[in-house]
Amino acid sequence: MIVLDPNGEKLNLMPLNVGPSHPATHGCLRFLAAMDGETIVASVEEIGYLHRGFEKMVERGTWQQVVPYTDRLNYCSAIMNNIAYCRTVEKMFGVDIPERCKVLRVIVNELSRINDHFVCVAAAFQDLGGTTPFMYAFNPREEIMCIWEKLTGARLTNSFARIGGLYRDSYDGFEKDVLAALDSTEKALKDLHACLDRNRIFLDRTVGIGKISAEKAISYGWTGPCLRASGVASDLRKDEPYYDYETYDWEVVVGTQGDCNDRLQVRLAEIEESVKIVRQALKRLAPGPVDIVDPRIRVPAHKLAYQDMEGLIGRFKSVYEGIRVPEGEFYCGTECANGELGFTIVSDGSGHPYRIKVRPPCLTQFAAFHELVEGGMLADSMAVLSGLNIIAGELDR
Amino acid sequence: MTAEAEKPNIITSSLDFIVNWGRTNSLWPFPYGTACCAIEFMSTEVGRYDLSRIGSEYVRFTPRQSDVLLVSGTITYKQAPILKRIYEQMAEPRWVIAMGACACSGGFYDCYCTVPGIDNIIPVDVYMGGCPSRPEAFFDAMFDLQNKIKDESYMKQRAERVKDQLEMIKAKTAEAKACAKEFAHEKVVDIKDFVAEKEHEVLKKAQFWKE
Amino acid sequence: MKTVEDIFSALEERFGAKREMLDKWGMTVIVSANYLHNAAQFLKCESDIKFEMLVDIAGIDYLTYPNHEGPRFAVSYSFKSMSNAGARFRLKVLVSEDNLSVPTISDLYANANWYEREVWDQFGIKFAGHPDLRRLLNHVEFVGHPLRKDYPAQKRQWLSTNDYLLPELEQRLEVLGYKVIKRSKEVETNDNEFLEGSIKA
Repeated sequence: MIVLDPNGEKLNLMPLNVGPSHPATHGCLRFLAAMDGETIVASVEEIGYLHRGFEKMVERGTWQQVVPYTDRLNYCSAIMNNIAYCRTVEKMFGVDIPERCKVLRVIVNELSRINDHFVCVAAAFQDLGGTTPFMYAFNPREEIMCIWEKLTGARLTNSFARIGGLYRDSYDGFEKDVLAALDSTEKALKDLHACLDRNRIFLDRTVGIGKISAEKAISYGWTGPCLRASGVASDLRKDEPYYDYETYDWEVVVGTQGDCNDRLQVRLAEIEESVKIVRQALKRLAPGPVDIVDPRIRVPAHKLAYQDMEGLIGRFKSVYEGIRVPEGEFYCGTECANGELGFTIVSDGSGHPYRIKVRPPCLTQFAAFHELVEGGMLADSMAVLSGLNIIAGELDR
Repeated sequence: MTAEAEKPNIITSSLDFIVNWGRTNSLWPFPYGTACCAIEFMSTEVGRYDLSRIGSEYVRFTPRQSDVLLVSGTITYKQAPILKRIYEQMAEPRWVIAMGACACSGGFYDCYCTVPGIDNIIPVDVYMGGCPSRPEAFFDAMFDLQNKIKDESYMKQRAERVKDQLEMIKAKTAEAKACAKEFAHEKVVDIKDFVAEKEHEVLKKAQFWKE
Repeated sequence: MKTVEDIFSALEERFGAKREMLDKWGMTVIVSANYLHNAAQFLKCESDIKFEMLVDIAGIDYLTYPNHEGPRFAVSYSFKSMSNAGARFRLKVLVSEDNLSVPTISDLYANANWYEREVWDQFGIKFAGHPDLRRLLNHVEFVGHPLRKDYPAQKRQWLSTNDYLLPELEQRLEVLGYKVIKRSKEVETNDNEFLEGSIKA
């Protein structure tokens, strides 16, 4: 297309389509860029290629049946989404979960965060042409996956959290496995830093690329590591503490420049903080129940159902009719790997959710994408995209 | 020629064996990764599972250079035309693996926006269950696909293609012949007329000179 | 130290806001659509706790809600304060079926642009003054609004061919100060591409 630029000069721009099936888009994003040579003049994004109707589907099941759907929002850290949803519903019930459940949730939360950040950094490297860090990052990730398999029975979409508890207690030797995974995580971090920190090619391609100021990031509603990379120390684990996060010894990681390199470095530093939290949490892990004992919220254990009439009725009612969440509407946000994952829940007091609206952290970040890439080179847009860590599952729901 | 090619003999079967051996052991996948299964595909590729053990580690992100279209993840109606176009861009021989419940049947997204199985859009060779499929299941599907390819006969396919081509050539030739005949007939008639005219002229001239 | 209660009373005084009793856990305030922009402006710039971030916009359809009285739709806005960590506020606008229109706040909060497009896509609520109100998640040929309670969940709609996005790119170029003289030729669709089952095939 031929255009007149603001100075009145004639330019011949080429429209270039990237995605939805593109190696660097990790899922189905698409943007159409108007190119002047190698420079992006304007860009428009299109999403919705993975719109699977989460919000329509959950209205058809019971409250517990939402949990598997939340797995598939951010599939890199599925357990975090389960916990975010269950926390919101538990808040509506106004119940407090047992101490052991809290600590276990913190442990699996932070392990999932490590998993998610590793995928992001590894994929970013892969997009910039480095295969080795990809392998480095996936080794500890596989170890955590093994823990998931033992703990939940699934590798990726775990459905581990339940409203008012967990699917099950940890297995024998859980602590040992987690410690081993943490050790290899630290080793991988060392390797990754060795690849990253003084790598000329990597720094040239990421430092100063896709900069965003703190004001603009806030105006776009950014949360999580991407906002923290712009220098805003905002973390819901500190701001609105839950599961006693404020009692652990850890720091909120903040970047300075708000560029692509900062976003990746913040993620790596957050892995370190997560390792610290998990180590402390493991020490706090004391024996005790993991589920609330209340048949109106949590399904009674199998053992009770076989021996006890009350337990059998409770189980039957809870499975067939679903639990009854108090009538009302509520918004609650939880700090997930990518930022604030919020659920706006409208309940009519019946066994089915009336409406659940997800607030995905990726959407706001991808909405600002054109501001980050316009004026830059096409190759830089890939670095920006992988630094934002857009997960199509939660972007489009 | 066709009859001979359809009968297996030592040359054709050896050729089949060699071609299939080549094809099975270097299947280059095109990962059409949309959702969760794509992350499991990433796990399959690296370290612990290592897809290169069966010669498929060379992931190509262009449909023109790949053999296997690996649809990993949910396909929505918004994406369906793109998937179809990518399939059509792939060169023969091409195979399709539907990875995970969503690609096979839509999974538990029975909804206004998800395609209930990619076989509504493109033909599928191997279906793979799981939500998402484990890397082991992925290997199993690749082995299934390899077995399927081993059963294929390159010579038979080629013979069929040649047969088709021969028939086409025959039809074309017949058409061309008919056309040429008509044309020649017209020409002959033309020439006859011309000759008759000339003769007439010559006769006339001769008569004139005689006179 | 001011609390969200004080902000509610200020809103009540200025814009006649009412407390939403359904939200028993947080602070939700109903304002009329006419005052929405002013209320959002007040929350962002003037109130004692400044709510700099728009967290979410959610549409709600009350068609099958038991014992519901009043307009059928509602749009709820969640705000979060950055300067005063932990403070949250929600605004709610009731939208009747006769007048499906709410003023946009995309000039105040940049991310409202996409959120409002999503609500339009899913519920068919128009946002007056929105710069580019088109569908966000569903495809261009989609008819109806899927998250309304009267839309059957399994009513599927095929898309005939990929959308080309070029008009949107031209629009974006014009926002940036460029002027399109000659349009690109790639916009034309090819009839052979249309998928079976779609409206164009």
